[in-house]
Amino acid sequence: MSAILTVFRKEMRDHLRDRRSILVAMIYPLMGPLLLWLMFSFVGGSMRVKEGSPLVVPVVHAESAPDLIRYLESQGATMQPMPEDVRGFVSGGWVPFALVLPERPTPGDQAPFAVRLIANPSRFDSIVATGRVIEHLNEYQRETLRGRLSAAGLPTEILNVLTISQENIGRAAGPAVILLTMIPPFLIFTLFTGGVHVALDSTIGERERGSFEALMMNPVTRNQVLTGKLGATIVFTLLAVAVQAVAFWVMLNSVPSESLGLVTPPGALRLALVVSVCLPLVFLATATQLLISAVTRSMKEAQTYLGLLPLVPGLAGMVLALSPVTAQPLLAAIPTFGQTLLMGQLVRSELVSPVFIAITAVATLATTAALLYLAFRLYEREEILFPQ
Amino acid sequence: MIEIRGLAKSFGDLRVVEDVSLVARDGEITGLIGPNGAGKTTMFRLICTILRPDRGTILIDGIDGRHDPLAARRRLGVLPDIRALYPRLSAREHLRYFGELHGLGRDAIDSRIAELVATLRMEDFIDRRAKGFSRGQQMKVALGRALVHEPHNIMLDEPTNGLDVATSRSVRELLRRLRDEGRCILLTSHIMQEVAALADRIVVLAGGRVVLEGAPAELRRATGLQDLEEIFMAATQETATQAFAAGE
Repeated sequence: MSAILTVFRKEMRDHLRDRRSILVAMIYPLMGPLLLWLMFSFVGGSMRVKEGSPLVVPVVHAESAPDLIRYLESQGATMQPMPEDVRGFVSGGWVPFALVLPERPTPGDQAPFAVRLIANPSRFDSIVATGRVIEHLNEYQRETLRGRLSAAGLPTEILNVLTISQENIGRAAGPAVILLTMIPPFLIFTLFTGGVHVALDSTIGERERGSFEALMMNPVTRNQVLTGKLGATIVFTLLAVAVQAVAFWVMLNSVPSESLGLVTPPGALRLALVVSVCLPLVFLATATQLLISAVTRSMKEAQTYLGLLPLVPGLAGMVLALSPVTAQPLLAAIPTFGQTLLMGQLVRSELVSPVFIAITAVATLATTAALLYLAFRLYEREEILFPQ
Repeated sequence: MIEIRGLAKSFGDLRVVEDVSLVARDGEITGLIGPNGAGKTTMFRLICTILRPDRGTILIDGIDGRHDPLAARRRLGVLPDIRALYPRLSAREHLRYFGELHGLGRDAIDSRIAELVATLRMEDFIDRRAKGFSRGQQMKVALGRALVHEPHNIMLDEPTNGLDVATSRSVRELLRRLRDEGRCILLTSHIMQEVAALADRIVVLAGGRVVLEGAPAELRRATGLQDLEEIFMAATQETATQAFAAGE
C-alpha cells in the first residue's frame, strides 16, 4: 500500500507541475460551458427580439397595400422600404426577411392580393422575425374577414373551425432544451480526456524515456506502480469533471433567463447527481487509457488512438440529443450509453429510475474490471520495458 | 554477493546470454566487459529481476530473484545505462522518491540525502529541477538514487560514460570507498583503462558467454599479454572467429 501511495504522490507532484496536464484537466473543460453560454446568450438575444423589441418589416412596394401597412404600423411595426432585388439582402443577412407586395395596387376593395415572404431559415433571427410577421399577417386577414362578415350581416364565429389549446407535460420546449441535452456529451468527452495526458505521460511516456526500467529495479511490483499511476489519472480526471460541472453551474446561472424559456435549469444538487451517475465512467476511461498505453509503443501512437476514443461515447450522446431513446435496462448495460441517457433525463429534470442507475454503474464497473485485468496482464510482459 | 549459475536468456530466436556462470564477491569490484551486443545489459536486467531467465540461477546474498524478486531488489542498487530522470522533479525529490520506494522513513531519507549530497557534491543543484541538468549532474542523481538505501550490492552500467575527468575521478574514488566498506560492486565499462584501474576481477563476455575471467594479474599471466586492451581483443576476436567458423 505504501508503494502505491509513494507512486501516487510522485505522479501528483510531477503532473501538478506539468503545464499540459493542467491545461487538459483545468482549462479545456471550460470550453464546453463557454460555448453553451455563448449559444444560450445568442438564443436569449433572439428571444428578446421576439418578446419585446419593435418589429422592423423590410418591405418592397409598400405603397401597393396601404391598409396592410397601416395595420402593421398600428401593431408597432416599423416599415423599412427595400429595393426590388431584395433577395441578396436576405441571403446576405442584411435583413432577416423581406415582405414583397404586388407592384401595383389590386383593383377593387375585396380582390385577394399576393404577399410573398422571402426568408432564410438557416438563420435563427430570420425564423423568429418571419414567425412574428406571419402572425401579424394572419391576424390582419382574420380582422379583414370579420369586418366583411359583419358588413354582410353574418356571424363572425363561422371563422372558428377549431379552438386550439396546448398543455405541455414535458419540462421544456424550444432550443434551450436542445442546448441542455448537450451537457452530457460535453461531460463524457471531458471524462475521456481530462486525465489523458497524465495517463499517457506516466506510462508510455515513462517507458519511452527509459525511467520505467529504473523504477522497476526497485522493490515494487508492476501492479503497485500501475495502481499508483492509475490513482493520479483518476484524480486529474475527477478534477476536470469538477471544473466542468462548476463551470456549467455558473453558466446556467448567468445566462439571460429569457433564453431558457420554460426550461428549469438543473440546480447545484441535480448537477451533482449528473456528475455522480457518470462517476463509474471515470474508472472506465482511465482503465481504457492504461490498456491503450500497454499496447502502444510510443506517446504519438497512443495519442492517435486516444484522440479518437472520446468520439465513440460522444457520438452516442449526440445521437441521443437529436433522437431521444427510451431508457431501457438493456441500454443501461452499455457503458457510456446508459450514462448519457441518465444524464439527459437529469438535466431535463425528468424522473430517473434507481434500478437503471444501478444497472449502469454495475455494468460499467464490470467492464472496467475486465479492462484493468487485461492491462495489468499486458504490463507483465518483458517487452513492456523496452517499447522501442 | 552475486552468484550466477548456468544463466541463459533468449529473445525469440536470438540467444543473448548462454550458460553464463560468475561470482561477484563482497569487498571486490568485478568488471564485466565485452563488445557491443555481448549481453552485458541483458545480464544486468536479469540480475535485477526485471527480466526472467530461461535457465539458470541468480542469487543476491543467497536470495533467489525468481522466487522473491522484491527481496533481491532490496539488496541491490542499480545505475542503469539510461539515467532517465524526471525533468519536473528536483534532485532531492528523486532521491526521496527512490528512498520511499525502498521503504525508508522520512528521517532516514533526510539523513541519507545529506550524506549523498556531501559525497557526490550535489550542493549546487540538489533543489533544482532535473530539466537542463548536465550529464554529470544527471549521473550524480542517478547514482544517488541507486545508493539511497545503502545497498550491499551495487551494479553500475557505464558509470563514467560522458563525464568529465574530475567527475570520473570522484566516481572512481567513491566506488573504491564502497568496495572498502565490504560491498559487492559489479560494473560494466567500455573504457579498458577504467576497468584495469578499478576492477579486482574481470569477466570478459562475448557472444553471450564468459570467455575469460580472473584478476588482472592472472589474466596477464594466462595470456602472456600485458595490456588489458590486447587481452580483451584477443579473447573477443577468438570468440568471434569461432562463432564465424561455426556459422553462427
